[in-house]
Amino acid sequence: MAEEGAGGAGGEKVIHTYPLIRHSDMSEEMRIEAMELSVTACEKYSQNNELAARMVKESMDKKFGPAFHVVVGESYGFEITYECTTICYMYFGGNQAICIWKCS
Amino acid sequence: MAPKKIPTPQGLSKAVKLPELWRKSSEKSLGSLLKRLRKEVTKSRANLAEDDGLDWLKPRALLKPDDQEEVADADLEEEVGRVLTTINPQWVADEVAYHYGQGRFVVKPRPSYGKAYPLFVFQGTAIRKDSDEAKAQIAAGYGMVSFDDAGPKKAKVKKSAAEEEEEEEPEPEPAATGEEAKPEEDAVAEEEKPVAETEEPAPTEAGAEQVEGEEGEVAEEAEPEEKQEGDAGEEVIEIKPRVKKLANQFNFCERAALTYVFPRRSVDTQTIPPPRANYGSTALQSVIFDFYQEDYARKMKEKEDEKPKRMRKKTTKHAKSAQQIHDEQLAQRIREAWAILERLVNQNIYDDIAQDYRYWDDPSDEFREGMGSLLPLWKFQFEPMRSHAVCDLQWNPHYQDLFAVAYGSLDFTNQQKEGCLCLYSIKNPAYPEYAVITESPIICLDVYKETPYLICVGRYDGNVCVYNAQLTLEGSYQYKSDSVRDKHSNIVWEVRWGARMIDGEASFFSISGDGRVVQWAVMPGELQATTIITLTSNVPPIPGPDGTLVTVNSCGSCICFHPEKSEIFMVGTEEGMIHTCSLKYNRNYVSSVQGHHMPVYRINYNYFNNSIYASCAGDWRVKIWEDGRDEPLFMFELGSPVGDVKWAPYSSTVFAACTADGKVYVYDLNVNKYRPICVQAVVSKKTKKLTRIDFNARLPVIVCGDTKGTCHVLKLSPNLRVMCKPPKKAQGVDQRTLQIMKLDKLLSLVRDPPFTPGVVDEKFEDD
Repeated sequence: MAEEGAGGAGGEKVIHTYPLIRHSDMSEEMRIEAMELSVTACEKYSQNNELAARMVKESMDKKFGPAFHVVVGESYGFEITYECTTICYMYFGGNQAICIWKCS
Repeated sequence: MAPKKIPTPQGLSKAVKLPELWRKSSEKSLGSLLKRLRKEVTKSRANLAEDDGLDWLKPRALLKPDDQEEVADADLEEEVGRVLTTINPQWVADEVAYHYGQGRFVVKPRPSYGKAYPLFVFQGTAIRKDSDEAKAQIAAGYGMVSFDDAGPKKAKVKKSAAEEEEEEEPEPEPAATGEEAKPEEDAVAEEEKPVAETEEPAPTEAGAEQVEGEEGEVAEEAEPEEKQEGDAGEEVIEIKPRVKKLANQFNFCERAALTYVFPRRSVDTQTIPPPRANYGSTALQSVIFDFYQEDYARKMKEKEDEKPKRMRKKTTKHAKSAQQIHDEQLAQRIREAWAILERLVNQNIYDDIAQDYRYWDDPSDEFREGMGSLLPLWKFQFEPMRSHAVCDLQWNPHYQDLFAVAYGSLDFTNQQKEGCLCLYSIKNPAYPEYAVITESPIICLDVYKETPYLICVGRYDGNVCVYNAQLTLEGSYQYKSDSVRDKHSNIVWEVRWGARMIDGEASFFSISGDGRVVQWAVMPGELQATTIITLTSNVPPIPGPDGTLVTVNSCGSCICFHPEKSEIFMVGTEEGMIHTCSLKYNRNYVSSVQGHHMPVYRINYNYFNNSIYASCAGDWRVKIWEDGRDEPLFMFELGSPVGDVKWAPYSSTVFAACTADGKVYVYDLNVNKYRPICVQAVVSKKTKKLTRIDFNARLPVIVCGDTKGTCHVLKLSPNLRVMCKPPKKAQGVDQRTLQIMKLDKLLSLVRDPPFTPGVVDEKFEDD
């Protein structure tokens, strides 16, 4: 689970910005890498999800081999087929959902 | 007219016979052909074989099928011409057919080639050299080059064949014109024909008449063909001359080689595709928010749990189940209740003794100057250990009423299977407070002074253990030496707790019959052994069964640590030697004294003077030594093996010894340097021996054990525990200083004359 602590612990109105893995079967190393990449990309292109997704995808392709797919968005549904141990579905910034998987 | 002419019997017989004839002729011709071929082959390859000796090129034996007809060699050798005719044996001579046009039967026109129908007619371009046409051509200037000139280098075979052709060709023209039609039919027949023709004249008995008959027929049938031939010939004439030379179109040689065709094979592998899985979800703001909330709540809870976690861990380690704890606690409470009840009962029973041991003093002491007595108080026995000997006992340094007893056996021919460690309290003489049965007899024990519930024991099988009296009995020992790796290979004779190690671990030392002194560090969960010293002996190495020299260690029998210098210790051996050793040297002794002539059973330092120690041995003697002297200061013979000697903790000059004949001797050197001030038979010397003795540190009682598992607690009479009266000059001096002074005063008497043999010779007469 994410190490970064939550923001202020002020009762109801707590805004969580830390990355939070919802579902992942990646290896520890890969998951941390994917998480860091997503955080970097989403912070860099906070206004443009497309560019953020592209950045994550390209970096992941470079590091772990091609055919990664990345979806960054605030609300969407998906039903995907992925190669085992390559999926990472996480939330970031409290409102963004990032789904990274590999399928060639 | 008959509709169909039935073939004549002659014709029928011909037709039947013909195949036989063919076969025979073909066989023979095959034989001749083979022969010729062979000849040719040998001819053509002879030079090759000569040159290189290529044997493999030579023809080999023919492979014959099993069912081949046996033919005599003569028949095989015989040259038989092959006869081929154009006559179709199936042909019916006068066949009629109904002609619808004419409305009657007519004789079927005879087919020109029997039943063979020409499908393709190819006009040859060759013409005869000596025909008119050829002559005309030659005359016109063609074909000036002769055959010989054209192919001078052709193979002989071919040439001869060509010559044959030349010779034979003209002949058949008038005789057998029928055969001439053949070239049009088949090109292969061309080659065979000349052979057949040459063979034909040869008289063959088998088919001579038939051939004749055939020929007759052939002659008849050939007539219409001749006409055709004539037509063909006319056509040929019209062919213009095309080449200058009259080349033989068959005169060529074709060579080819067929190599093996390698079979092709395709190989492929299919791997298992990487596993895939499906996942689907919906990312909505509400879902994301909820999950964050959930995670946050979980984190907060973890944070809260963090502190009590450590404590919980500890509790979970021990707590196997709540029920068990409950049961144990209940059992413990019941046990405590019973223990109290038992004490109550015992107090009633032993009320007088309980009173006596504190307050009653033998009034007779006042009248017996310098002599004392021992008042027996309790006897402690543990029923299962009736047949065991008390191998060691020791008062607890912390609880004055408690003492530990090691049950083992000193009868080595009839060794007990198990031992027992018991803790007795004088409050309850009926039953031990703590008793644990061990799988091997316990020979020695020592109670740790810092934590008096830790007792280390040395066992008969060479193991050492540490028992924790606080633990429940099921816990058994807390530490045990590894039976495989580092236990002693002989009886552990004495164990002594030592100083703590540098890193704070408690450690104890053991001495064993295998001649080793081992230090055991009590690590968490295990005992770590370090061999401090291996006792060497003066015995020269003994040759072993296979010639190797076996060094003999001397057997250690007791160990004693210097009260102040924790690295100095003394070791008594079974040869009677007393070695002073240091933890810092593991090879040499600091000093060594031939103290006794029998195994040394105990060495005990004086509580007030660190350089004075007592030793006892199986040679009936008790000796008092001073460090650095090779001769004892005092020596007492007790008339029986002395099992134990102990200095009194309250007086510097009092010590007690117990002997195998069941007596306890108490000496006060200040009172009498030669005789004991008290000799008391505690047990019957016939059945029991006294093994060990110990002074209580605070109470005026001693405990001694016998070989039948009984511990006797005795009260020292007032005369045995006389305290020093401070001199009038120095009233404020405390008892300890006075005791030291007392001993020093005594020692100075003994020391001044270096050694008084009279003391040694003084024999105790009371026995």
